[in-house]
Amino acid sequence: MSEITRSSSPARKPRKKKKNQIPFGLLVLIGIVVVGILLGQKSGSLAMFWVFGCCFGYILQRSRFCFTASLRDPWISGSTAITKAVLIAFAITTIGFTAIKYGTFINSGYIPGQGYIQPVSLLTVIGGLMFGIGMVIAGGCASGTLMRVGEGFTMQMLSLVFFIAGSLWGAHDMGWWTLNFAATAPRIFLPDVFGWIGALVIQLAIIGLLYIAADKFEKKKLGITDEE
Amino acid sequence: MAEYTLDCLGEACPVPLMKTEKKMAELEIGDVLVVSIDHSCAMKNIPDWARKVGHNVEVEEVDDGEWEIVIEKLK
Repeated sequence: MSEITRSSSPARKPRKKKKNQIPFGLLVLIGIVVVGILLGQKSGSLAMFWVFGCCFGYILQRSRFCFTASLRDPWISGSTAITKAVLIAFAITTIGFTAIKYGTFINSGYIPGQGYIQPVSLLTVIGGLMFGIGMVIAGGCASGTLMRVGEGFTMQMLSLVFFIAGSLWGAHDMGWWTLNFAATAPRIFLPDVFGWIGALVIQLAIIGLLYIAADKFEKKKLGITDEE
Repeated sequence: MAEYTLDCLGEACPVPLMKTEKKMAELEIGDVLVVSIDHSCAMKNIPDWARKVGHNVEVEEVDDGEWEIVIEKLK
């Protein structure tokens, strides 16, 4: 890629000298460790949550990983780079979760986290639609909003306030929704239906097909014949 | 060889990208567009889009959390 010549740039702002951020970084790192140790004295799992949370936030911020963009960019710009990244993440978590669940099941006969299997119902569709509209307007999903509040993007501090308000409102009305729409809906755990290996293969195959579709979609939409 | 600027400071994704797409359509080949952004996700998706469409792109961090994306229209 050639350099862009910018000789004719009258409106250039004089460059401010940037502050060295490394001392701040070290202070924050020390702070994280201190808080981690304090939490660890209270309970081991609190400290673990703290460490995982910090790592997750760091990776999210550095990688610019964005669930909103993964579903929004295909329609706006035709770019599916982040869509593909999310699909890869789904594939990895599929394998990881299967390993955790199957491993525990083999060793102790019970499957962890089964309470999180939600009924398949109209609620999923309505909720998905509302969440989708909301996250595009707000400029980020839950993790993205939190991350950008940390970056200091003021508009999303407002998003966060209403995100919390909306979550509380949703939790308040959830009983009514469940009673009217999801009470009789089935809770499906794929390994119950297809067996452990079958569920893993089917889920990975669907993710793989979506990946291929995303790739083709981008090339078609942007009119690319040869990927760089 | 004109240079245009587009101020997207304070705009959340996807607004900067959509504005850039519209503005780029108005430019002549060889023109340069400078987009100012402060939303980190625009720093990723605008260069991605522009490179895929086939323009020359450069990103500069002009201040902490503020970037300028320089796009040269090539086609």
